[in-house]
Amino acid sequence: MNKLEVRKPSSEAAWDMSFRQTGFWRYIAVLPTWLAASALFILMTMTFADVILRSLFGNPIESATELTRLLIAIIVFSSLPIISWKGNNIVVDLLDPLFSRRLAIIRDIAIDMTCGVILIWPAKRVWELAERARGFGDVTEYLNLPQHYIGWFIAVFTFLTALTFLARAILLILSAVKGPV
Amino acid sequence: MLISIVGLGVVLFLVFLRMPIALAMGLVGFAGYADIRGVRASISMVGRIIIDTSQDYGLSVVPLFILMGLFVNKGGLSKELYQVSYVFLGHLRGGLAMATIVACAGFSAICGSSLATAATMSKVAMPQMRKYNYDDSLSTASIAAGGTLGILIPPSVILVIYGLLTETSIGKLFIAGIIPGLLGVVLYLVAVRYTIIRNPKAGPAGERSSLVDRLQALRGVWAVLLLFFIVIGGLYGVLNIWPLNLTFSPTEAAGMGAAGAFLIAVSRGKLNFSKTLQVLIETVQTTAALFAVLIGAWIFSNFVNMAGLPEALRFLVSSAELSPMLVMLMILVIYLVLGCVFESLSMLLLTVPIFFPLVTSLGFDPIWFGIIVVVVTEISLITPPVGLNVFVLKGVIGDVSTATIFKGVTPFWIVDIIRLALLVFIPSIILYLPNSML
Repeated sequence: MNKLEVRKPSSEAAWDMSFRQTGFWRYIAVLPTWLAASALFILMTMTFADVILRSLFGNPIESATELTRLLIAIIVFSSLPIISWKGNNIVVDLLDPLFSRRLAIIRDIAIDMTCGVILIWPAKRVWELAERARGFGDVTEYLNLPQHYIGWFIAVFTFLTALTFLARAILLILSAVKGPV
Repeated sequence: MLISIVGLGVVLFLVFLRMPIALAMGLVGFAGYADIRGVRASISMVGRIIIDTSQDYGLSVVPLFILMGLFVNKGGLSKELYQVSYVFLGHLRGGLAMATIVACAGFSAICGSSLATAATMSKVAMPQMRKYNYDDSLSTASIAAGGTLGILIPPSVILVIYGLLTETSIGKLFIAGIIPGLLGVVLYLVAVRYTIIRNPKAGPAGERSSLVDRLQALRGVWAVLLLFFIVIGGLYGVLNIWPLNLTFSPTEAAGMGAAGAFLIAVSRGKLNFSKTLQVLIETVQTTAALFAVLIGAWIFSNFVNMAGLPEALRFLVSSAELSPMLVMLMILVIYLVLGCVFESLSMLLLTVPIFFPLVTSLGFDPIWFGIIVVVVTEISLITPPVGLNVFVLKGVIGDVSTATIFKGVTPFWIVDIIRLALLVFIPSIILYLPNSML
């Protein structure tokens, strides 16, 4: 069943990750999570304020559309490494019963490895596109923010997601070598 | 043509190996595109899609509606909705099962996911029906079936994604979902009634509630009903009363909904800082998972289009001289089968890029097709032997066998098929409201 919808509404588990981690790693994981959460809260408040200002005072927030785009990118990409680490990507686990435990571990290692490796190219490509935008000095329409900042952000977090998948694969290999999990 | 079929096969293979759907579609899309146009062109396409999708204004609807659903849920709505439905329907035979259906419909007016609706309502409705000695097969079936309404009654995450993917108006799609959703409620109530007539012991009547109780129960939900009215009314454009200009774009409607739900939950003292943070975190993570799949689907869809699959299908259909309706029925059967295996959203993302061009070229309305696809997906959620809603329910409740649930679900499944037939052959049931929009 897919993880996305089935996850219980009460999710104290939002903090947990399937691999145990020490304090240091916890902080590493918490920072982007908070960044994404704040971005979402700002998005909600801003949209609300925009509608109220527009409908009551005929005075909308002009840069709202632009900020919305920016916030969406932050929300999505700062969360990707963490959901990948927790294995919360949408998967089909219909055939799970067909895999033995050993086979499942081998399968998971192969999948995580593949995912990690194939994500490196898009990360590189997005970085190149950001550099190109920097070269042209592209800025956004209302706020004059340099376009390449968001490109860098997306590239870095795609790259981190790739690393996360690879780290998962390595941890799986280590724990498989050490003996039954 | 051949390469895209091979590609589709590889995606299915990888997905069944438990590869994240987003990456499976992205990888195959990239490789296939590279095979046709070269690696450089393909990587450019992928980079562009990642940057554009992650900054798409229209997509901001998704996190905001998810947020609204979670805030309302934290505010304790599921219990109150059930309470309201119960005080009005509980005294009828099978009344608790009917109350479950109505409460599910109410809940899905806030929440855009079927599985979440079923999981949430089972916690509230199941203990009540146990208390009144309801037959397990009827109680579980009413939750499983009622839960499917979640993706049709607006707001619906699936309809948003369909709208974005096909560039169909999301506002119109939402409005179009209302009548088919209500029709679903009515027909499900008929199914409960039918079950009771066949086996009166399955659902004994509860006590009649007094007028005072009824009014009191209504007090618990009026704020949320008002919120729903504002969100959907604003979308439909009926709130445009001078001097207020309350016509919302989907993003604005979602933002108003989320902020309103937040204020309601706060004013009831149901939210503190850590709970709010939890809701926000859950929303961003769900959103990120959805966007990942969406990006993958777009890459895959670019490949499929480049490989000419939609044209090939069109050619195949026209050279075989099939009637459009026959083609549509074939597509529906494919959806029904796939829906049993795939999670709804991934199925939609995988199939819409292939079928949509064909369907529109045959003269079908894009909004009508969106609703039909969602209704078929709903049906597949309770289709034996693999309907996902049934398994979610089994997971939450535990001590009921899936066979029992499927037995109870049968009448609901049959009325669903009747509803589908009605919607397919009388398109104006779907199209009346959206066509009357300004």
